[in-house]
Amino acid sequence: MFFEFLKLELRSAFRSPMLYIFFFLITLMAFGAVASDNVTIGGSIGNVYRNAPYTLTNFVLILGLFAVLFAAAFFNNAALRDHNSQFNEIMFHLPIGKGGYFWGRFIGALILSTIPLLGIFAGAWLGAVIAPLAGWIDPERIGPFYFETLVNNYFIFILPNMFFAGSIIFFLAQKFKSTIISFVGALAIFVAYFVSGTLLSDIDNESIAALTDVFGIGTFDVYSRYFTPIEKNTLSPQFEGLLLQNRLIWLSVGIVISIISYFSFSFKEKLRFRKRRRKEVREEYTPITHIPAVSQNFGEGIGWKQFKSFYHANLLSITKSVVFKIVAIFGILLLFASLVGGYEYFGLQSYPVTYRVISDIASSTGLFMTIVIVFFSGELVWRDRISNIQEVINSTPHNSHVSAFAKVASLVSVAVLLQFVFIAMGVLSQLFRGYTHIELDVYLVDFFVDSLPGYIVFAAIFVFVQTLVGNPYVGYFVGILVIFAWSIVLSVLEWSSNMLAPGASPGIFYSDMSGFGPGMVGTLWFDLYWILTSVILIYFAGLFWPRSVVSGFREKLGIARANFTGKTRNAFAFLAVAWLLVAGFIFYNTQMLNDYPNQDTQEQMSIKYEETYKKYENQLLPVLTDINYFIDIFPSKRDVYVKAEARFINKGDAPIDSLFFNLDPDWNPRLTIPNSELVLDDTELDFQIYKLKNPLHPGESIDLKIETSYITKGFTNGIGNTNILSNGTFLNNMEILPSMGYSESVEISDKNDRKKFGLPIKSRMPELEANCTNKCMKNYLSNGLSDWVNVETTISTSDDQTAVAPGSLIKEWTEGDRKYFQYKVDHPSQNFYSFMSARYEVAREKHNDIDIEIYYDTKHGVNIPKMVDAVRKSLTYYEENFGPYYHKQARILEFPRYSNFAQAFPGTMPYAESFGFITNLEDETDNNVVEAVIAHEMAHQWWAHQEIPALMQGATMLTESFSEYSSLMVMKQESNGDDMKMKNFLKYDYNRYLRGRSSEAEKELPLYKVENQQYIHYGKGSVILYALQDYIGEDSVNAALESFLKEYAYAEPPYPTTLNFLDYLEPRVPDSLQYLIKDWFKEITLYDFRLKSASAKKRSDGKYDISFDIEAHKMYADTIGNETPQPLNEWVDLGFYSDSDAEKLQNWKRVNITDEQSTFTLIADSLPAKAAIDPRRMFIERVIDDNVKSIDLEE
Amino acid sequence: MARLSIQNLSKTYPNGVKALDNVSLEISNGMFGLLGPNGAGKSSLMRTLATLQEADSGSAFLNDLDILNNPTDLRKVLGYLPQEFGVYPRITAAQLLDHVAILKGVSNKKERKDLVDFLLQKVNLYDKRNKSVKGFSGGMKQRVGIAQALIGNPQLIIVDEPTAGLDPGERNRFHNLLADVGENVVVILSTHIVDDVRELCSNMAIMNHGEIVYAGTPVAVLDELKGKVWVKTITRDEVEVYKTQHHVISDKMVAGQPQIHILSDNHPGDGFNPVEPNLEDVFFTKINPAVKA
Repeated sequence: MFFEFLKLELRSAFRSPMLYIFFFLITLMAFGAVASDNVTIGGSIGNVYRNAPYTLTNFVLILGLFAVLFAAAFFNNAALRDHNSQFNEIMFHLPIGKGGYFWGRFIGALILSTIPLLGIFAGAWLGAVIAPLAGWIDPERIGPFYFETLVNNYFIFILPNMFFAGSIIFFLAQKFKSTIISFVGALAIFVAYFVSGTLLSDIDNESIAALTDVFGIGTFDVYSRYFTPIEKNTLSPQFEGLLLQNRLIWLSVGIVISIISYFSFSFKEKLRFRKRRRKEVREEYTPITHIPAVSQNFGEGIGWKQFKSFYHANLLSITKSVVFKIVAIFGILLLFASLVGGYEYFGLQSYPVTYRVISDIASSTGLFMTIVIVFFSGELVWRDRISNIQEVINSTPHNSHVSAFAKVASLVSVAVLLQFVFIAMGVLSQLFRGYTHIELDVYLVDFFVDSLPGYIVFAAIFVFVQTLVGNPYVGYFVGILVIFAWSIVLSVLEWSSNMLAPGASPGIFYSDMSGFGPGMVGTLWFDLYWILTSVILIYFAGLFWPRSVVSGFREKLGIARANFTGKTRNAFAFLAVAWLLVAGFIFYNTQMLNDYPNQDTQEQMSIKYEETYKKYENQLLPVLTDINYFIDIFPSKRDVYVKAEARFINKGDAPIDSLFFNLDPDWNPRLTIPNSELVLDDTELDFQIYKLKNPLHPGESIDLKIETSYITKGFTNGIGNTNILSNGTFLNNMEILPSMGYSESVEISDKNDRKKFGLPIKSRMPELEANCTNKCMKNYLSNGLSDWVNVETTISTSDDQTAVAPGSLIKEWTEGDRKYFQYKVDHPSQNFYSFMSARYEVAREKHNDIDIEIYYDTKHGVNIPKMVDAVRKSLTYYEENFGPYYHKQARILEFPRYSNFAQAFPGTMPYAESFGFITNLEDETDNNVVEAVIAHEMAHQWWAHQEIPALMQGATMLTESFSEYSSLMVMKQESNGDDMKMKNFLKYDYNRYLRGRSSEAEKELPLYKVENQQYIHYGKGSVILYALQDYIGEDSVNAALESFLKEYAYAEPPYPTTLNFLDYLEPRVPDSLQYLIKDWFKEITLYDFRLKSASAKKRSDGKYDISFDIEAHKMYADTIGNETPQPLNEWVDLGFYSDSDAEKLQNWKRVNITDEQSTFTLIADSLPAKAAIDPRRMFIERVIDDNVKSIDLEE
Repeated sequence: MARLSIQNLSKTYPNGVKALDNVSLEISNGMFGLLGPNGAGKSSLMRTLATLQEADSGSAFLNDLDILNNPTDLRKVLGYLPQEFGVYPRITAAQLLDHVAILKGVSNKKERKDLVDFLLQKVNLYDKRNKSVKGFSGGMKQRVGIAQALIGNPQLIIVDEPTAGLDPGERNRFHNLLADVGENVVVILSTHIVDDVRELCSNMAIMNHGEIVYAGTPVAVLDELKGKVWVKTITRDEVEVYKTQHHVISDKMVAGQPQIHILSDNHPGDGFNPVEPNLEDVFFTKINPAVKA
C-alpha cells in the first residue's frame, strides 16, 4: 500500500509542470552563478573555483532557502490533494491502511522536494563545461567535480532540510487544510532561521548559533570558517563535529513532528471547531414601515466619499485577515530578535542610538513589508472576485480610479501602520536599555522619506500588474518577474540611474553629527518622481480596471480607450506634464549637472590610462618639501576653496623637464607653474603634462601655485559627496590637490579582471629585497612624491564651527561671519593630513607639554574621559619605550559615520562617530576596544609618522602590526598581568587571521612579506608579536623596536624594510628561540596541539602530579593553503585551571616538545579541574577545543 | 412610467457559444419574469443589461438612456443582484450595505443609515447587522444581496435567481418586498422556479439557447394550453414507452410514482385525465418545441 501511494505521488508530480519548472529555475541559477561574473553566490572568489565543493555547498545552502517554498508546494499538495479535489470522502471510505497512505504521500513529497536542488549540480556542471568554451570565464576558474560533493550535500543538507521543513508543512496542512497556512508555516521556518542567524554576531556564540540554525547554513559557515582556498577547492562537507550535531538535532525534531502528525492524522474529516454562540437576545426595534427617501449625489465630493469607503473596507479586510496577523507577528518577532541581540565588535555593543535602531528595523522588517505589500496587492485586486461580489460592486456608479487609488492607499497605510508598531518597539528597546534620547522625528523622517515612497511604487506596480493579468498567482509571478528581470537588465546594461530602479533614490543616511546628510534634497525629488510615477500607474490601473466581463486584451484596450475622455484625459495630461517636469529636473541634476561614469566606462578609462601613461611610471619627479594651504570651507553651501603654495626639489641625479598631473575635474584644479608650457591636456583621462622651459636640475627647487575648488551644484544620483557636509567636513590632502606623476592606483587591480581585459599580471607590491637602496627610495604613504614636509595651513569656516588642520594652532581670528585658524606642523612630517570642520565640543588636557584634545559632537560626550585616558596612557608607554613624541598636540576628531574607521595623521586622529563614540564601555570587565583603537592610532605617531617603511612587501608589518603590538602592550599594562583577559581580547585577532586567510583572493604571505593584507598585518601581526614578547620578554621586543626607530625616525630615504627590523630583533632573541623568527615571521606556520588526556596523582607531600598526554604537529603552509609537516622542537606551555570553565589559570610551565606524541608531568599544589596545552593561547591553531581536558584523578 | 426596450441583442462567446441570439424585448413597469433552463442565456442577458458584459450588437434603452453606451448613467439607477452573490469576509452586513450605498451616491449619512436599517429590517437581518457576514448562511447572504440591490432609487432592478436558497417564509417576505418597491420601476427577475413567476409577474418571457421563445403574460400563455394537457400516473418501466407514443411535457415523481404530463389537442384516452395547465407545462412546452406533436 505504501508503494502504491508513493508511486501515485511521484507519478502525478512527474506529470505536472511544477517539478520541471522548479528544477529548471535552480539549474539556471546555478548555471548563471558558475558561468557569469554578474551572478555571485557562494563565495567563489580569488583562487576558489567557480565549481569548488565549498562553492557548490554554498549554492545548496542559499538556494535551499528557496527550496523551502518548493517543499511547501509538494508537501501541501500531498497532504491536501484528496481534500481539495473533495475526493477525500470517497477515498477514506475505501479499505486503505493509514500508514501506507500517510507515509506514502509523505515520502513521495520528500523525494520530490529534494529533486529541484539537484539542479544545482546539473547547472554547475553545464556552466563548468559551457562557460570556458564560450569564453565567458577563464578555464582556470573551473576545478574538478567530486561526486562526493553531490552525495554528501544531498544527505547532509538537502534531504534533512527538506525533511524538517516538510514535516512541519505536512503537519500544518493536515491540521488546517489551508494552503495559506502551509505557506505561512514555510515563512515561520525562515523566521526561525533568521533568528538563529542573529546569534552569530559574536564568536562566543558561534557554537550555539551553529546548533540552532535549522538549515545548517550558519553551521557550515562555522565549520568551514578557517578553510584555506585549497580546502575550499577539494573538501566536501562531512558528517562530523558541529555539522553532525546540528543535523542530528533537527532531524530528530523533524521525526518527532512527523510522528505527532501521523498520530493526529485521521481519515475522519474533523468537524470544524466552532465557537459556542452566545445566546442571542432578540433586539427590540421599531420597524420602519416605508422605504426612506434618499437622495443620490453624483456631483463633487462623492468621489472622495467613495474613496474613503473603499479605503476603509480594504483596510479592514487586510488588517483582520489571518495572513496579515501572522506576517505582522513574524515581523515583530524578527525585529525583537535583532533589537535584543547583536554584538558588533570585540564582544561589545553600542548605545542604541536612533540610527542604529532604524537600521535594525530596516534590515529585519524590510522584506516583510515588501511581502505584505505584494501579497495584499493581489488580495485587494482580486478580493471582489474571490468574494464573488465583483458584479455588485462593478455595477455601482463609482469611478474605477477611485477604487484603484483606494487600494494603493490602503496598502500604503498598512505599511505605515506596521512601521509605527516597529518604531514603538524600537523606542521601547531604547528605553529598556536606559537610553532616553528618543528622536521620533528621525524615525519618522527616515521612514517617510527613505522607505515609504519605495513601498508606494511597489504597491502601484503590483496593483497595476494584477489589474492587467487574469489571475492573482500569474499576477504575483509576472510582477516579481518584471521587477527581477528589470534589475538584471539594469545591471547588465550598467544603467545605474536611480530613476530606473523602482523606488530608488540617492538615499538618506542619518548621522548624529550631520543629520540626514547630503542626499536629502535629491531624495525628496526622487520621492516626488516615484509618487508621480505611482499615480500614473494607478491611473492606468483604473483605466484598465475590468468593470465588465471582457474577452481578450483587445477588448480591454478598447474599453480603456473609450474611457480615456474628458476629465480623465485632462487628469492624465496634467499628470504627464508634472511627471515630465520632475523627471526632467532630476535628469538635469543627476545626469547633466552631476554626471557620473558607470562601472564599465570607469574600467575602460582605467585600462586606457594604464595603456597610455604607464610609460611615465618611472619618470623622475620633483619631491614636495614645503606646502602652505589656504582653505575656505563653506559648510552650509558645501563649497570648499583651496589655494596651495608648494615647493618641490629635484632630489634625483638628472634634470627634470616635465611635470605630470592627474586632475580631479570635480575639484576644478588650476595650476600655476612658472616658466612652463602645457604640452598635453587629456580631458578624458584628466591628465596633464607641463614642459618646463628651464629644466629643473638636481638640487634645484620650483614653487607651484595650485588652486582648486569644490562647488556643490544641485543634487546627485547617489548620496553625494559625504566628505563635505553641513556639519562634519573631513578632507584629506590627497583629495583636494591633484597628484603628480603616473598614478598606479588608477589601474585595475583585481587579478581576474586584469586577465579578462588582457592586461599584464601585476604584483600587489614589489618583492622584498635585502640591502636595497634604489628600490627603497619610496615609502608606501607618499609613493616617492615627498619625504618629510613642512606644512602650514590657514583655514576658515563659518562662525559656528571649528576648523582643524594638522599642527599647533598659531593664530585664530574672526572676519565677518567667518572664523579663521592658522596651524603649523611642529616637525616635518609625512605629506598625509586631514582638514576638518564641524560644530565641535573640545575636551582639553595636558600631558607634560603635550595638549590632549578631543573634538567631539555634543551628543557624544559619554566616552570622552576614557578617550583622554587612552591617549595619556599611550603617550606614557610609547615615550618611555619607543622614543619621544615630536608634536605638541595629540588630537582626536570625530567625523560623521559616512565612513567607519579611525586614522592617524601627524598629531591628528579622526575617528568615526559610529565607531567608539557610541560604544558602550560601562562594563569595566569587557574589552575596552576604544582604548585599543586609540592606542593603535597613537602608536602610528611612531610607526608610520616617525618610521615609515619602503614601498615593498612587509611594509605594513612595520606600521600596522607594530601599532597593534603597541596597543596590546598598553592594554597588557592595564590588565595587570591577567593573561586570560588578554587571551579574551586576542581571540578576535586569531579569528580575524584565520577567517581572513580563508577568503584570500590571491595568495597568503608570511608576515614579513605582507602585501597590505589586513588579516595578516592586523590579525596575525597582533598574535605573533604578542607571543614574541611573551617568549623573549616585552623589554627585549621594545628594545629592538626602540633601536630600530632610532635609526629610521624621520630619516631620509632609503626607507627601511622588515629585514632591517629583523636585524634589530635577532640579537634580542636567545639562540634557543631563534627558530621563532623563521616560523613566525618568514613562514606561514600552523600548529595543531591536542591534549589527549590528563590525569592527576596525589603525591606523598600532598601535592599532585599532573601528567599530560600530548599530540603535537607543526606545518608550513604555502600561499593557497597546502600544508607540509615540520619536525618539532617547540617550547610550548602546559597549564592547569582551578575551575571547570577553564578561566582561572592556576599554574603553567613552558616545556620543550620534540615528538608528535609525548607525556609531561607537572606538579600542582592543589587538585586542578582542567589541564591544557597552550593555555594562554600563543600559537596559531585552527582547532583549539581539543587543547583542554578535564583531569582524571588516579587513586 | 419606466420602460426597458431591448432590440436585437446578440452576443457570441469566444468559444462559439451563442449566449444571446437576436434578443428583443419590451418591458414596462412592474415585475417581469424571465424563465429558462440553465444555460439558456438568462444571466447573459441580465449581465448585459447590468453593464457587466459587452454585447456584440443590438441596443438596450431604459427610457431614453442608452444602456450599452452609457454604462455609468445606467449604474446610477440600477439595482442588481447577481446569480452568485458573495460578501466580503470580515465586514458586517451594515458596513457592507453602507459601502454599497456610498457607491450608489447616497452621500447623506443620516439617509444612508435610515435606508440601511430599513433594508436590514425588511430582509430580517437587523439583529445581525453588526455580525461579520462571513458566518452567514447561504440564505442570509442572499438576503444581504437582495437588500443591496434595493439601495438608491433604482429605476431598473435586475435580480438573477433571487429566491435560490431561501426558505418558504423568506421567499414570501422577499416577494412582498419586491412588490413594494417594484411598483413604479422595471424589475426583471430571472428564475427557473416557475412558481416565482406565477406569483409575482404580470409579464414574462421564456428563453432557450439564447433566444426568446415566448414573451407575453402568464395568463395568455396558460390560455394557449387550456384543454391540451393531460396527466397519468404510470409505473417506472412504462416511461420510455409513453415517451415514444406521446408528446410528454414532463415526467416527475408524485408520491413515489412517476406522473407524466402530455400535450395533446384531443383526449388521448388510455387512462389520461385532463389537467389545468400550469406554468411548468408552458415552460417545458416552450423549451422543447422541436418534438411538438
